[in-house]
Amino acid sequence: MRSVWLPRPRSVAGVSVAQCAALVLPFMFVAASDASRYAVLLVAALIAALAFEGAFAFLRGHGPSLDGVTTALVAAIVVPPEIALWQVITVVSLGAVLGELVFGGRGFGFVSPATVALALLVISFPELELSQPTRELALAVLPGGISLLALGLISGRVLLAVGLSAWACMYLSGQGTEPGQIAAALAFGLVFLIADPTSAASTNAGRWIYGALAGGLVALFSSQGVITSEAVIFAALMAAIFAPLIDHLVVLAHVWCRGRRSYV
Amino acid sequence: MLGADVPGLRPRFEVEEGALVAEGQVLFRDRKHTEIAFAAPMSGRVSKLAYGPRKTLSVCCIAGDQNAPTAESDAVSSQPDPENPRAALLERGFWPAFRTRPFGCIPAPDAVPAAIFIKAVRVGLDVPDPSVVLTEKEEEFHLGIKVLTRLTDGEVFVCQSPGAPLARDDARVTCVSFGGTQAAGLPGTHIDRVFPATQQNAVWSIGYQDTAAIGHLFRGGRYCASRVVAIGGPASAQPRLVRTSLGAGIAGLSGVEQGRAMSGDALVGREALYLGRYHEQVTLLNHSVPDPRRPWMDWFRPAGHALIPTRALDQALAVDIPTVPLLRALSVGDVEAAERLGCLALIEEDVAALSRHCTSGADYARLLRQVLDDLMEGAP
Repeated sequence: MRSVWLPRPRSVAGVSVAQCAALVLPFMFVAASDASRYAVLLVAALIAALAFEGAFAFLRGHGPSLDGVTTALVAAIVVPPEIALWQVITVVSLGAVLGELVFGGRGFGFVSPATVALALLVISFPELELSQPTRELALAVLPGGISLLALGLISGRVLLAVGLSAWACMYLSGQGTEPGQIAAALAFGLVFLIADPTSAASTNAGRWIYGALAGGLVALFSSQGVITSEAVIFAALMAAIFAPLIDHLVVLAHVWCRGRRSYV
Repeated sequence: MLGADVPGLRPRFEVEEGALVAEGQVLFRDRKHTEIAFAAPMSGRVSKLAYGPRKTLSVCCIAGDQNAPTAESDAVSSQPDPENPRAALLERGFWPAFRTRPFGCIPAPDAVPAAIFIKAVRVGLDVPDPSVVLTEKEEEFHLGIKVLTRLTDGEVFVCQSPGAPLARDDARVTCVSFGGTQAAGLPGTHIDRVFPATQQNAVWSIGYQDTAAIGHLFRGGRYCASRVVAIGGPASAQPRLVRTSLGAGIAGLSGVEQGRAMSGDALVGREALYLGRYHEQVTLLNHSVPDPRRPWMDWFRPAGHALIPTRALDQALAVDIPTVPLLRALSVGDVEAAERLGCLALIEEDVAALSRHCTSGADYARLLRQVLDDLMEGAP
């Protein structure tokens, strides 16, 4: 699939803009239930993410950037509406700082800041019940997901591998296995957390392995055949931590094959 | 002749500024390998000789002059023996037409390649079509291929676009077709697919017009610097083919005063006044340099961009190397990792497309050259 009508982003800011555009529709869908509350949550998350991004840019002498907008949007979609503002501000700040800013900004880290923020939220505030994925949310994700795929910002290999692996693992462990249900439950986390280009594996063979690992973890973390937001978040976090190792092994295998080829 | 085509070459000039030279006369030699001669592409008066840093070649200009001898003296223009072509190719200025893999430089005078690749693939509509250019030079092209088979113990591969074969296949000559994206036109892609080069088994590449010129030399004994060059690009009034000589002035060819003239294509080419040695295309662009009156635009280009793996990067490199690990190794200057991944199969033109697609905006061609220079120093 080549994008003919959309210019491919050639800068980090361009990638963030494309991701934000893809996130607008899911956010509007979620916010429709309680518009004023979600607007307040989004503003709080934006202030937290951008304040720290600005502070880091100032301290390091960089120009300003607005990559934290994607972190704030993802967080605002997944957090429950009854969450306290200080909790949102805390986890988004920590996610942005620990997930990317300490490494030097978007693209320099190895995990997605939104994943870190949400994982911290689940660990720190276990009494909070996250918004669970619904079929309607999956439909709202679809246009953005397709355009990100067309722009080459998420890998079809990762998407396929996660879906197939989650389905296979749930089938083997005797949990509920309706493919449509799995796809709907996975859609948001898959497109914006697991397949995020900064945290996914970056070699083609590595993408299959990474996706298979993430899908297996999703199946492992979900109980009684119900894929929860928590399962997807922790699967994304664990898989992202293993992605550099997967890439390293793939490169070793490639070098070995290449060495054999040149001696033939 | 421009120093940019032969980076690092230190010349020993055989002519002086103001001297009259004939086409094919030796202008200068490589100080390190005095056998390698560089010939004048046209008759005229030597108008400028200049050294660059560290006594490298900067520029050597020849201006047309009516008093100049039009052809080499008969003593020089004897017909060489096609069975033993090495000395003639060195002495008559054809050695710089070859480029080695790995490293992409002019080969040593006594080196024997494991294979020779003739590049005759046409990618895009902006370059001359080899099958058209070669129709009137068919015999010379075949003779040139025959001469090349005497230089190597291995095979000669003719890389062409799909269509009628340009050369007769025999035991030593094979035609290979390539088609598809921009990368199909790069010798790096051909060599990696057909005969991967290593430090021990170096491979040479040469252009099809140079091959025909070699055939011309061995048939009539005359040096031939005439080349067909395409002029195109967004700023050109009418894209066309012109017959000119190596290293011709671009302003004289295109007749356009405004806009930017690039020797080569828009991706790997360079802004130049003269045609590059290995270029067969002039691209006229009309974009200007970034507007200095809008400094606020710099705010949106923060320093130190990251590399975000996108599909465009994977598609831009046709050679079988994992793209993102290679780019990471290049951008931190990790010579060992880059070599392990196979960067010896590449030269600057192969990675030029990556710089355009990468979010980091790094100049991978320059980074690759630094890594290759490091590896070349350590090579036996």
